[in-house]
Amino acid sequence: METALTPEGLSMDILAIANMPVLWVLALGVFAAIIVQSLVYMKAARKAGPAADISEEELKVSFRAGAIAAIGPSLAVVLVSIALLTLFGTPAVLVRIGLVGSAATESASASLAAGTMGATLGGPDYTQAVFVVAFMAMSMSGAGWMLATLILTPILRRGDTKLRRVNPALMAIVPAAALIGAFASLGLAELGKTPVHILSVIVSAVTMAICIALAGRTRATWLREWGLGISIIVGLIAAYIAHTSGMAPAA
Amino acid sequence: MSSADTATTPDASLAEFDRTTSRWGQLTMGVALFLSLAAPLYLVLFTDLGVTASMIWTAYLAVAAAFFVLWFVEPITYYPVLGPAAMYQAFMIGNIANKLLPSALVAQAAIGAKAGTKRGEFAALMAICGAAMVHVLSMLFFVGVLGTWLVSIIPTDIVDVARLYIFPAIIGGVLVQLVVTMKQPRVTVIAVVVAALVLFVLVPAVPALAKPATGVVVLITAVLAWFLRSRKAPANPTTLVN
Repeated sequence: METALTPEGLSMDILAIANMPVLWVLALGVFAAIIVQSLVYMKAARKAGPAADISEEELKVSFRAGAIAAIGPSLAVVLVSIALLTLFGTPAVLVRIGLVGSAATESASASLAAGTMGATLGGPDYTQAVFVVAFMAMSMSGAGWMLATLILTPILRRGDTKLRRVNPALMAIVPAAALIGAFASLGLAELGKTPVHILSVIVSAVTMAICIALAGRTRATWLREWGLGISIIVGLIAAYIAHTSGMAPAA
Repeated sequence: MSSADTATTPDASLAEFDRTTSRWGQLTMGVALFLSLAAPLYLVLFTDLGVTASMIWTAYLAVAAAFFVLWFVEPITYYPVLGPAAMYQAFMIGNIANKLLPSALVAQAAIGAKAGTKRGEFAALMAICGAAMVHVLSMLFFVGVLGTWLVSIIPTDIVDVARLYIFPAIIGGVLVQLVVTMKQPRVTVIAVVVAALVLFVLVPAVPALAKPATGVVVLITAVLAWFLRSRKAPANPTTLVN
């Protein structure tokens, strides 16, 4: 159906375009924006500190406490990001996971986008063109969160009571339904693919269930943070064993 | 009047803080937004792949149908906890529930500041700055440098298999994590039943619905979950994805 695609568009060498120098520059620019923001905020906080009844020492302690608390979760996100490198290349992963997205939302967006091209993420039909369309679609979706923040924050700040009066039951149920609905749909769709896909979904789900159960029983909270990374690795190992032992259909 | 005069009164000083953080928060977030869209747009415009606008809009609609509710719900949900300044940090960095909020709470506890006070707000802001630095450095070093190198030395047959099955390996874990942390059994049952019916009954019957299938599931699930909600138990606030 994609008659418009050029021979280059049908190339399977994703990393050839995913690692273009321009993308690296843009990715570093995004991180520069985050760093500049933090520096400006810290300077502003130090200046207004006395008015907020907080000393310079306490500001420093807060910074350090926040940084240390973020180490575990950051490394857990690193593990998941590295797993995604094979799909999207480094600059795209840095921008998508480095900005508001999470591994869950971004890979879900990419999978949905690839589906509209009649392709599977990472499958034999995952061409350069599919990658570019998926990358564009997930970036536009990520932009949705940032635009909503840019528009809503000044409104909420003015203390607009209408937004705050939104029925709390509505705010609890509709997002939960949207999230579980989206991921249940994507998960079940994977079950309609090859036996190795089914196995990967199930092994990953069971591993996560074990991590959560162990975290609850032993109070090892790090297991909650690392649960997704561990589930992905164990799921991939199971997929590799099954794939190489001939469970996958001949490509 | 000079800036030295305004800085002497606490109110003026706090007003200046608000002005600076919201101006720079919006500016830096706008820049990041622009750069993040420029990257894929560059590939669309300057590579000769034959990608058309209609392909992009079709893909975007499928993604937007699944996530547009969250674009608005997440900022509204987190605003009371974060306050205006930290909103621009949080929705740039992401990982709010699993990284930024715990960092903010630890910092407030460390200096004995209560949430909702100015001290608490400043402690949270500094903590998020600290978390942001750790986030940026770990992404650049462990993913940007080490990760790229790691992928280059892993045998290609392993990379190919990883690429093929990474999505199912993510989705299984994510789904269980969501269901467990949300503790909404009724919504979960509705979602799974709706997804199964749409994917395995409706789509085979009406193939045109294949592309927007996930959006259809989200819409039906949200409507059913609302009308079939338990009216006895008070609703718990939701844990979100970002």
